[in-house]
Amino acid sequence: MSCPRCQGHPVKEPPRARRIALLGNPNTGKTTLINALAGTHLQVGNWPGTTVERLEARERTPEGERVYVDLPGAYSLLFSTPEEAIATQALLGDPPDVLLVVLDAGNLERNLPLLLEATELGLPMVVALNLMDEARAKGYVLCPKALEAELGVPVVPVVASRGEGLAELRSALDRAERPRPAVVYPPAIERALAAIEAELEGPGRRARAALLLAGEKVPAPETARRAAEAARAELAELGINPYLELTGARFARARDLFKRVLKGHNPRPTLTDRIDRFVLHPVLGPALFLLGMLFVFRFTFLFSGPWVAFIGRVQEVLSGWTWGLGLPPLLASFVSGALIAGVGTVLSFAPVLFFLYLAMGFLETSGFLARSAFIADRLMHAVGLPGRAFIPMILGFGCNVPAIYATRTLESFGDRLKTALAIPFMACSARLPVFALFAAVFFPDRAALVVFGLYLTGLALGLLTAALVGRIAKTEPASGVMELPPYRWPPLRVLLAQARVRTMDFVRGASGPILLAMVLIWALLHLPPGPLEESLFARFSRAFSPLFAPLGFSDWRLVGALVPGFIAKEVVVGTLGVSFLGAEPTPALGLLAGVQDLAAAFLTALKETLTALLALVGLPQLLPPAEASAPGLAAALGRATDARGALGYLVFVLLYTPCVATLVALRQELGRRWAAFSVAYQLSVAYLMSLLVTRILR
Amino acid sequence: MRRLDELTPGEEARVRAVQAPVRLLRRLFALGIRPGARVRLLRRAPLGDPLEVRVGESLVALRRQEAREVVLEDEG
Repeated sequence: MSCPRCQGHPVKEPPRARRIALLGNPNTGKTTLINALAGTHLQVGNWPGTTVERLEARERTPEGERVYVDLPGAYSLLFSTPEEAIATQALLGDPPDVLLVVLDAGNLERNLPLLLEATELGLPMVVALNLMDEARAKGYVLCPKALEAELGVPVVPVVASRGEGLAELRSALDRAERPRPAVVYPPAIERALAAIEAELEGPGRRARAALLLAGEKVPAPETARRAAEAARAELAELGINPYLELTGARFARARDLFKRVLKGHNPRPTLTDRIDRFVLHPVLGPALFLLGMLFVFRFTFLFSGPWVAFIGRVQEVLSGWTWGLGLPPLLASFVSGALIAGVGTVLSFAPVLFFLYLAMGFLETSGFLARSAFIADRLMHAVGLPGRAFIPMILGFGCNVPAIYATRTLESFGDRLKTALAIPFMACSARLPVFALFAAVFFPDRAALVVFGLYLTGLALGLLTAALVGRIAKTEPASGVMELPPYRWPPLRVLLAQARVRTMDFVRGASGPILLAMVLIWALLHLPPGPLEESLFARFSRAFSPLFAPLGFSDWRLVGALVPGFIAKEVVVGTLGVSFLGAEPTPALGLLAGVQDLAAAFLTALKETLTALLALVGLPQLLPPAEASAPGLAAALGRATDARGALGYLVFVLLYTPCVATLVALRQELGRRWAAFSVAYQLSVAYLMSLLVTRILR
Repeated sequence: MRRLDELTPGEEARVRAVQAPVRLLRRLFALGIRPGARVRLLRRAPLGDPLEVRVGESLVALRRQEAREVVLEDEG
């Protein structure tokens, strides 16, 4: 991966830190368990070279430090998804001191094959039999001791969400044992495994041999590889498929183990069955789905809005103080216009991301995300996207940045690529002020229609992009096979902790690029010191404006405003104001007045967050109240271009590279090259579409 | 020879074979859809695709095309 921040946050480990890796099927509550064990010291990063999230937590105990590592959810070490491949590679390449296998007690039979496979890794092991409460609710009576006796490792029943059994689990981790051999394979397979094992070293020989025999490419000496090839050829001649034999033996043993652990079962209809009857109902389902989407969207933006405004106010107060310091004007302008504004821009994304991560975390752990994917799958499939892509696309209308991060819930890189490249075409709320201003000036009678048309254009181009990228990149469509996990009430503590660390991850990654862009644009606008008409910005804009003449607008001030639009699209309006009407000086602010201002702004934000609770169920507001922006600006704009040019401008603003934060998100999720491609692609599309529109209108 | 996509909602059957490419096969196996398993079609999604299947304690969604690769035992 090109970005050093995506490599996780390696920390020098003190000598006595014991590494405990958590392995388990998806939806077995591994993350909840880590949080329950050591939630206050959570760290989030990525698995090297991937965008798969890596969670880690530290715990200090009298015996020394423990580091818990959450492996991606896996059904088997014989991987079929990128996540599973990471789990296998992590276990083989960097074996932990203790392997903590987490099982869903309410779905034990299906969880056991992974446990059996894990015993072959030869690592000291402890089993957490999680979700015991659900197992009881489903009518299961289980005997953990029986499992302990069969495998020879500690087995601890726990309910991670309620913190039950944690003390026992902690003490079991100190007496982790290497399991005894758990599965006996048919003779032909055992012989083949023995032949490969003879060429391997270390405790994980059997697991490695089994993976090689199944045809998996895992790190191994050349001799072992050749032994595996020979064994595979030999078995093939006998008509034996090693994968089927290996898994067949494990499934049979899992069944046998399950029978020994199971002491009774009175099946009862579960809550999940009852909820699904509504959520997946042919008529009610889609309605609830749309309502749910609206809810997520509004939750994210209604709750973050007041805090974004608060950060804006803090920025203004800090700028005011800066001007009050009596610094040389150029320095004061640099501090307030580049540094404070840059940091403010980065931070203003934090509330949006935080609430989005809360909403997504809730959807994911509650089981609703999988259902929404199920309902939208057929629809999204029309443009070659999976059902899960629906939510990120919708979020794009609020803000592209969290929408791109939301593509993480998609399974394959191909799907993430298609969705993430389509998202910037969704007209985010920052573009609305530009739309509203121009529509009001040039199309006063049809403003709403023009704005609506722009939204639709963006959506259509986004979907077209997804379909095209799928064709050209020939990305393998992800399988539609997925588990619909049982409905669960996610522990709020876990959601908050995850949202916090993920948001911090963005702030760390985005600060540099956004600050840099801010400083560059400040320099363009303010150097050399003097009137704006003589700045680098003006010269630069004048040089480029002929390029935009075919699009119907060539006034350098219009062209120039597109540049700071790269910081955030709403800045376009502000820049137009400055370049047409001249800058209003930032009023200097006294210390006391500033403090009062901040306190008032904080209270307002708090009050608005509370009222957002009510607004959450209210009707959505489609257009913002037409801002009474300076009438002077409207008149100046009217002189600068005509309706045709205005529409060309709007189409360009709709489609060109959204902002530096979106670019940061694209780089973190897709890598540097795709982010660069996205910029070039969007500029071309914006230019061509704008050209097309102005030609049609001629 | 019946296939998984031909079940009617509420109907149950035993899997005879899975004839899918290796990745899909592994995925289906991992979720419990493998020879000998009893599967019950719970419902189709509102737009007719994908399908929801119960196997053991797991609820599994799969597209119609993928369900076609799962061959069922003939019963009664």
